[in-house]
Amino acid sequence: MHWNRFLLTASLIFSVFLQAPEVSSQTTPIVYKKRYAMGTVFELVAYGDSAERTSSAIDQALDEVVRLDNVMSNFKPQSDLSRMNREAHFHAVRIPTDLYQVIETSLAYSRLSEGEFDVSVGPVVDLWKAALAGGATPTAAQLAQARSCIGYEKIELIAPDQIEFHSDCMRLDLGSIGKGYAVDRALAILRSNGIERAYIDAGGSTIYGLGTPPDRDGWLVHLRDPSNRLDPQVKLISNSVSTSEQTAASTLAGDAPGHIVVPGSGKPLSSRYAVSVTAKSATTSDALSTTLLLLGPEKGSTLVSRLKGVTAIWVSADGQKTIAGSETNIVVRNSGAQAAAASVDHVALPKEKKD
Amino acid sequence: MLLRSCACLLSLLAWLDVAPAAGKLLLRITAGPLPPANSIGVNEVVLQWPVRDAASLATLRALGFHVFLEAGSNDLVAAANAAEGANLAGVIVEHTGSDAAANRETFRATKATHPKLLFRLLISGGKQPQMRGRLVVDRGGILQVSSPSSQPWLDTNLAVVRLAETFRPDEKPALYDFHWDLSDAVHKEHGPSVNEYALAISEADAIRADVIVDVPESLQKALVANQPTAWTLWNQVKQYIAFSPAAEDGMRPIANMGIVTCDDQTNFEAVNLLARHNLTFETLGPQDLNAERLNRWNALAVFCAARNPEIGLFNDFAKNGGMVVVVNQRGDYPWHSAPPARQDEHSATFTVGSGEIVELREPVIDPEAFARDLRRLIGAERSALSLWNSLTTLVTGYRQESTGETTINVINYADLPDNVQVQIKGRFRSVQLETPEVGCCVALQSVERGGFTEFTIPRLVVAARVHLKSADIGPAMR
Repeated sequence: MHWNRFLLTASLIFSVFLQAPEVSSQTTPIVYKKRYAMGTVFELVAYGDSAERTSSAIDQALDEVVRLDNVMSNFKPQSDLSRMNREAHFHAVRIPTDLYQVIETSLAYSRLSEGEFDVSVGPVVDLWKAALAGGATPTAAQLAQARSCIGYEKIELIAPDQIEFHSDCMRLDLGSIGKGYAVDRALAILRSNGIERAYIDAGGSTIYGLGTPPDRDGWLVHLRDPSNRLDPQVKLISNSVSTSEQTAASTLAGDAPGHIVVPGSGKPLSSRYAVSVTAKSATTSDALSTTLLLLGPEKGSTLVSRLKGVTAIWVSADGQKTIAGSETNIVVRNSGAQAAAASVDHVALPKEKKD
Repeated sequence: MLLRSCACLLSLLAWLDVAPAAGKLLLRITAGPLPPANSIGVNEVVLQWPVRDAASLATLRALGFHVFLEAGSNDLVAAANAAEGANLAGVIVEHTGSDAAANRETFRATKATHPKLLFRLLISGGKQPQMRGRLVVDRGGILQVSSPSSQPWLDTNLAVVRLAETFRPDEKPALYDFHWDLSDAVHKEHGPSVNEYALAISEADAIRADVIVDVPESLQKALVANQPTAWTLWNQVKQYIAFSPAAEDGMRPIANMGIVTCDDQTNFEAVNLLARHNLTFETLGPQDLNAERLNRWNALAVFCAARNPEIGLFNDFAKNGGMVVVVNQRGDYPWHSAPPARQDEHSATFTVGSGEIVELREPVIDPEAFARDLRRLIGAERSALSLWNSLTTLVTGYRQESTGETTINVINYADLPDNVQVQIKGRFRSVQLETPEVGCCVALQSVERGGFTEFTIPRLVVAARVHLKSADIGPAMR
C-alpha cells in the first residue's frame, strides 16, 4: 500500500523471473533500460527495428512511470496523493485524472472483495511498518485508533475529479495497485510508439509481456514457489502477472511483523501461501494479487471464478497448490517425482494443465 | 628507498587500522595513445600484458602517464621484466590458478627482484556499480535471469573491498576493477554514460579504494581525434575525477558493528547484503578481536568458529550492553548457564547482563532476510549512521578520532536525483555539503534529536560529501 522502503521489502519475495528466450538478436535490436520509481526498479526490455527509436520509446515509458510516482507517492510530501491525504478530511479536493482513476478502480476491487482489498488501510500498515523497521510492536490502543481511521466506504469520489474523506484520520496508500497502473501506462506509451514486443518488470511483483519475443510463442515467467518443488510457470502474451506473499518470519528474532495487514483485524496476515495472478491488465493483476492472498485459496477461487480473463495460483511452503481461473495459462512444470509429496488441496475451474 | 618508505607507511596504516588515502582512478586501455594526462585528468593507465603495441608504452609515458602492466600470476615475472625494461611505473597482478601459496611466493619474490616497480594486487570479485535490476541482457542478446535477491537496489563493491582489506592488509588501499555491461544495443553503440563513469569513480572514493575503469577503444580513439561528443562526455566525467581527491589520512570508518569472519569468501553474500543495507560495519578475523576493538561497536556478528578467549570477549561485550549474533556455531558457551529468553527452531536468544546473545542455529540461507533482521535487532537507536528512504543510496562515514571531525560520503546509484535523509549519532556544530556540481561547501540545516543529528542532502545527483565538525569529542557508538 506504499512504495516506500517498507513495501519494497516485499519485492524480494516476488521471485518471478524470466526464462531466457533465445532470440534472433542479430537481426532485431534489443534495448534494455531501468529506472528507480515507486520504491522499486522498473525494467523495460523491448525489441524494435531501430535501437534509437526503441530507446526513445522506453525513455518515454519510464518518464511516465516517474511522473506517476510524483502523483501517487505517499512518501513524497509534494505528491498529489500526499496533498490529498492532508486536505481531503476537510473538504472535497480536486485530484489529477490518474489518481482519480486509480482510486475509482481501487474502490471497485474493495467492493468486489467485500473490503479485503482496501487502500485506506495505510494508518494500520504504518504502525506495523515502524515495528518492522525496529520500532515497538503497536499496542492494542494504537491499533484500535488506527483501525477507526480506515474503511473504503468512507471515501467519496465526486465525478469527474474530486474526492472527500468521511474520516478525520484517513490516509490512502496505493502501493497495492499503483505499480500495476504505472505498468499499464508505460505499456500504452510503448504501443503508441509502435513497439510490439516488450517486457515490463516492476520490481518483480508485476510483470507485463507485450506480444512475444522473436522466435518464441510467449514470455515464459517462472512464478514464485515457496516450496521450491513445483516450478509454476506462465507464458505471457500481451497480459500481466502479479505476485504477492507475506514477509517471511525472522529467523533471528522470532516472528517479524509482516507488510500485508488484514484490514478487518488490523494485524499482519499470517499466510503460508504465495499467490500469482494473471490478467489482461497490470492494474487488475496487481490489485488482485494482494486481495487473493488475503482471501486465501478457497474464498479466492470463488472470486476468481467470477472474473473474466483472470487466473490465479496459490502455492504453499509445503508444496500445496491451488489453481483457479477461466484460462489455463498457468502450468506446473515439476508435477512429477519432486512434486509427488505435494498434494493439490483445491482446484477450481478449469483444472490445472500438466505437461 | 621511497618505495620502502611507502611500504612502511602502508604497514603502519594497516596496523593503525585507519583508512589511507585512496579513491584513485586508473584507466585501462587496450593500446595506442591517449590525449595528454593533464587533459584527461588521470595519471595512471593500465595495459594488459603482453602489450599489442610496445611502442605505445613510451608514447604514453611521454604524454605524462604512469603506466602499469597488468598480468596474471603466471605472467608476472615476464610482465615485471618488461615493465622495468620500459621504465614503467609498475605491475598490477591478479592472482590466477588455484595455488594461493605459490602465487604469494611468486608475488613476493618478483617484488623483491624489481624494487623500482610498484606492485599492486588486483582483488577479484569487483562488479560494475549500478542500480541493481533483475534482468540481464547478455552479449548474445539473450535475456537471462538475475538473482532473485532484490532490494536494496544497488550493486556495490563495498563488501568486496572491506573483506580484501581485512585479509590482505598489506595491500591497502585495495585495488579492484570491473567490466562494463555493454550488452544492449544502445550501450553497444554509445558505451558507458557519464553517469556510469561518475558512479564508478565516486564509489571508489566513498569506499576508499582504488579502481581500474575500462576506457572503450572507440572512446579512446574519439578523444585522440578530438571529437566534440567524446570530449563533452569526458569533460563531464572529469568533474567527478576532480571531486575524488585522495581522501584524508587518519580517518577511521564509522561502524557500530563488527563482523568476525575467517575468510573473504564463505560469508561474502551475507556481508554484501549488510553493506547494501547500509549497516555500518568493520570486518575482522577472529585473531584480531580484542576488547579495544569491541569497545568501538554495539553489535557483533560472528561467522567464525570461536575459541575460548573470544567466547569470553563475546560474553563481556554482551554484559556491557552489546548485541552478539553467533551464526551456525555449536558449543558449550558460558551464557548457556541460564535458559534462553526466547527460542524457536531457527534461533535462541540469551540475555547476558544488559545485552543479548542470539545464536542462529543454521547458516545464513537468505542473506537479504538476515540483513533485514539484523537491522531490526540493532534498531535505529544503536545505528551509528543511517539513511531513510534510500534504497538506491550507499553511505559511508569516516571519523578522525582525536577531533571528532567526520566525513560522510553518499552515493546515489539510481539515475535520478534524490533527496537523501541522513541520521548520524552525535552532536555536530557544523554540517557542510560538498558536491561535484556545486563544490565545497554549502551549509546544511540539521536538527538534533535523541542524541542524533539529522539532515537532508537535497537533490543528490551521484555523489556528495558532508563534512561535520563535532560538538563532542570521543567515541559515541554505544
